[in-house]
Amino acid sequence: MAEKKSFHLPDLGEGLPDATIVEWFVKVGETIRLDEPLVSMETAKAVVEVPAPCSGTVLKLAGAAGDVIETGSVLAEFELDPKLPQRADAEDTGHSHGHKGAGKPTPAADDGDTVIASDDGGELDTGDTAPAGREDAGTVVGAMESSDRVHSEQVSAAAGVKAMPAVRALARKLKVDLTRVKPSGAGGVVTMADVKQAAADGSASGPAPATARREPATAPQPAAAAQRTPVSASGRPMATRPPQAAPGTGQPEQLKGVRRNMARVMAAAHAQVVATTLADDADIHAWTPGNDITVRLVRAIVVACKAVPALNAWFDGEKLTRTLHPHVDIGIAVDTDDGLFVPALRNADMLDARGVREGVNRLRQQVMDRSIPSTELSGYTISLSNFGMFAGRYATPVVVPPCVAIVAAGRGRHQLVPVMGGVETHRIIPLSLTFDHRACTGGEAARFLRAMLDDLALPG
Amino acid sequence: MTTRFDIEYLRVLGPDGRLVGKNPPALAKDTDRLVELYRQMLRVRTFDTKSVALQRTGKLGTYASCLGHEAAHVGIGAAMRPEDVFAPSYREYGAQFMRGVKPREVLMYWGGDERGNDFSGPKHDYPWCVPIGTQCLHAAGAALAFKLRGEKRVGVACVGDGGSSKTDTYAAINSAGAYGAPFVLCIINNQWAISVPRRAQTGAPTLAQKGLAGGLHCLQVDGNDIIAVVAAMEEACERARRGDGGTVLELVTYRLSDHTTADDARRYRPDDEVKAAWEEEPLKRIKAYLVAKKAWNEKKEQAWKAECGATVDEEVNAYLATKVQPIESIFDHLYADMPEDLARQRQQALDWEARR
Amino acid sequence: MAAITLIEAITQALAWEMKHDDSVLVLGEDVGVNGGVFRATAGLQQSFGDSRVLDTPLDETTIAGLTVGLASQGMKPVAEVQFDGFVYPMLDHIVCHAARFRSRTRGRLTCPMVLRVPWGGGIRAPEHHSEANEAMFTNVPGLRVVLPSSPARAYGLLLAAIRDPDPVIYMEPKRIYRQYKEEVPDDGEALPLDVCFTLRDGTDVTLVTWGSQVKECLEAADALAGEGISAEVIDVATLKPLDFDTIAESVGRTGRVVIVHEAPKTAGFGAEIAARVAEECVYDLLAPVERVTGYDTPIPLFRLEMKYLPSVEKIVAAAKRTLAAS
Repeated sequence: MAEKKSFHLPDLGEGLPDATIVEWFVKVGETIRLDEPLVSMETAKAVVEVPAPCSGTVLKLAGAAGDVIETGSVLAEFELDPKLPQRADAEDTGHSHGHKGAGKPTPAADDGDTVIASDDGGELDTGDTAPAGREDAGTVVGAMESSDRVHSEQVSAAAGVKAMPAVRALARKLKVDLTRVKPSGAGGVVTMADVKQAAADGSASGPAPATARREPATAPQPAAAAQRTPVSASGRPMATRPPQAAPGTGQPEQLKGVRRNMARVMAAAHAQVVATTLADDADIHAWTPGNDITVRLVRAIVVACKAVPALNAWFDGEKLTRTLHPHVDIGIAVDTDDGLFVPALRNADMLDARGVREGVNRLRQQVMDRSIPSTELSGYTISLSNFGMFAGRYATPVVVPPCVAIVAAGRGRHQLVPVMGGVETHRIIPLSLTFDHRACTGGEAARFLRAMLDDLALPG
Repeated sequence: MTTRFDIEYLRVLGPDGRLVGKNPPALAKDTDRLVELYRQMLRVRTFDTKSVALQRTGKLGTYASCLGHEAAHVGIGAAMRPEDVFAPSYREYGAQFMRGVKPREVLMYWGGDERGNDFSGPKHDYPWCVPIGTQCLHAAGAALAFKLRGEKRVGVACVGDGGSSKTDTYAAINSAGAYGAPFVLCIINNQWAISVPRRAQTGAPTLAQKGLAGGLHCLQVDGNDIIAVVAAMEEACERARRGDGGTVLELVTYRLSDHTTADDARRYRPDDEVKAAWEEEPLKRIKAYLVAKKAWNEKKEQAWKAECGATVDEEVNAYLATKVQPIESIFDHLYADMPEDLARQRQQALDWEARR
Repeated sequence: MAAITLIEAITQALAWEMKHDDSVLVLGEDVGVNGGVFRATAGLQQSFGDSRVLDTPLDETTIAGLTVGLASQGMKPVAEVQFDGFVYPMLDHIVCHAARFRSRTRGRLTCPMVLRVPWGGGIRAPEHHSEANEAMFTNVPGLRVVLPSSPARAYGLLLAAIRDPDPVIYMEPKRIYRQYKEEVPDDGEALPLDVCFTLRDGTDVTLVTWGSQVKECLEAADALAGEGISAEVIDVATLKPLDFDTIAESVGRTGRVVIVHEAPKTAGFGAEIAARVAEECVYDLLAPVERVTGYDTPIPLFRLEMKYLPSVEKIVAAAKRTLAAS
């Protein structure tokens, strides 16, 4: 049984997706010799003679004069004559410069798959725009991939804002905060025009870019394993925000952003810290009116830190070093829809009551509008979590290295307290102190808590 | 000081196959040699036709045809000596075959394999040169080396009419003249630089006269006339060899093919111009001359064509059968001693290929 | 509106700008009658005449020098070098003059030129036609270096480049000249220079690239998504000046970065991005920076070129290495 050979229309050197048959120089059943003229094909404006790639009998021809054949699809089939000169095939170089059919086995021409247009009728490739007077694809060397496939880039929904990549790029260039632009496109898509309008009327100016993204830290920051922050390195908020009150889908959803970060950070903390918790109640019965609970908690922590510096420290579990801090920066836990943020109230030991109040308000505001610089989300020396707004008395909050202590205040309540001569109702705030027992002793923790309780017991 | 110049035009054999002018060079009578030259021209044309066919059947990458240039190319190669150095552009296969380059090497090159440039024949010749005109300075540099060492060898470069506009070409002419180097520049004026016609390249009426600016001898030659080309080239080489300075030869011919197999010349030049050029083509006239002198006939033509076809096919099959080089080959010829960094990368490449 | 290829988008942009600004002209080899060897300037000489679209003699030094001369005397020349491999003689004029006129004359003379360079490999071309030499220009102060990766970006960025008052090296990935079509309205709207384009959002790893490899990175992102890995793809587009903010913001989120370019590795532009990541984002990193690049060899002749160019497989492998690190 003689060998058969399928001859695929090669790229005729002009990177064209197809060519039209002008004239066959052989008929089915006839014999042709290697390099003899097989067919003339018209590429746009040039008629090219294609020689036979082998010697043998012609079995099939892919179409008639006027038919368009895709580059890479079968042009003719031969039965090789071993007595006549043949030519070897060259190795495939891995280029894909043909059309869709290139390199893949294609059905025989009779199926009509590869004939995409014909003077006798037949199917037109509707994916193609009408090639009226199609220009030749042109190149003076080589062969490039060429197709009529139409591709459109998609709107992305990053950070809860729908926009095309080009629109995002323009927003960056014009320093427009996309999250504040009113979208006018269909489906809530922000358009170029929207961004330009926002830039012109200043309605959505973005957060001031950090003057230096990474300033050398004034206090040496331990190179913690992935001290990740929920705010990006440029000080801008995280990209993804979950949709508001979306109902559960019952399907696993990939954690992103702050939640993802929390999962990692908490797991790492749990793995390292030896957490021990002491709890007690602060009796604030003596407070005069106008006392702000956050301010008093902050003050109490400062007093306790001065009394027991061991809990105002950083611990390095690998190097086994402990850094006692002369100042007190308190990380204030702020809960948001996106998750937990812990901005630092710097130099809490230097602030008066008003300074603390204003400072805490400012931090809350910056977290809410995502303008807090990333440098302010780390580097605190001890933290405070006032979770008592909703429910809960005592807790075992998580100490996140390099800190060694965290204070948690639960929901204030009234309680019957025995006193000399009877029983009184006092308002109390439950306090929990979790500390890292690698770095602090129970005695230190207890003395710290005592100092807090004593300060909180003062009238104001 | 007033200087005048004349640029001579040399033609010996007219398009009709008859000698023109009086006192033709001795070569015109040397039919044995002329038959041999004609055979080589036919061989080149056979090869060229097959190469285009290879490209059209997807077996060769882009290829630059030399159709119409056979007399110019073969003539240049025939007039040079083996010890001379040749710096081609990328079309002068006729000259290169005369100097021992193999057709399979040409095919390897256009077929995307560096081994094509590793000529088994002329070991000192330059490889094909894509950056236009740069080869002229290389040949001038070679010529300078020969002069400095006192060797009786010539540095020859070919460049096109387009290439004659290139800074490097002017620099080669100038420096070869300044040093008195044994340099011969063959400007092969085939009238077209892709789509740009000869008249758009320069305001000068001839290209040969560019040699004047460097103090070189200049001559314009009918590039389709094998006798004129060989005569002029031999004289230029001898002049250089004996230390009397360099020459610029402008060989006037016509590019009967497209610039490359991916070009389409019908976009920018009229069909009747091409038709007229075919009337002047080189093989026609020398064949007519030799047939008239009874030194050649149809039977010999067919026999020689068949032999050419067979040897070209052998070369083509050798090329097609050559396997792709292994990946380490891209690292192995970069430095004399492979730097460590590169050796590591080479190993990474090998590991990647072996990953399955 | 018809969908067009990248090369057609370039023609469309040139036509728009030439129509609206008389000082814009086009020059290069074969750009006039022939419409350019890639047909980038097809039809322009017919529409605008041969004093707006000039065929030059065959000499790149000439093209570069004349372009600097034209630009510094009130024209806006858009020069074409026929191939990346022929740009080297132009370096003298680009580096010594185009990039420095403004600085040397304290702003008295400027050079608002664009040099269009068909760039990069993968088209089975002969030698010297497949150079990815962008790093040569990114180290030159005073230049802009721009690489579009889609028809729409080609149109918008070329308009921006022509309108820019400083010299722009506009490198066109020839491998994707005709790879696909996109709808590009001919509205004269420029895209912003000096910013990256985030083409795909992701959370696990950032792929940073430009030019032809944008396609490979998007395909790699698809492959990774199939394995539950979410990759962000950034098209740098303007290499110089670099919008590092976008890259930093992304790395800050993902903690992992893979830089992809076909140019050789050593001192390729990926090295600059990697250095900046190390300077400014190191605390965000969960894994070392990965670079997927060409080898430190000339791009081989085409039989081996597909083994040289970054492949989807190599990019996916690099992305997975970053994930294995943490």
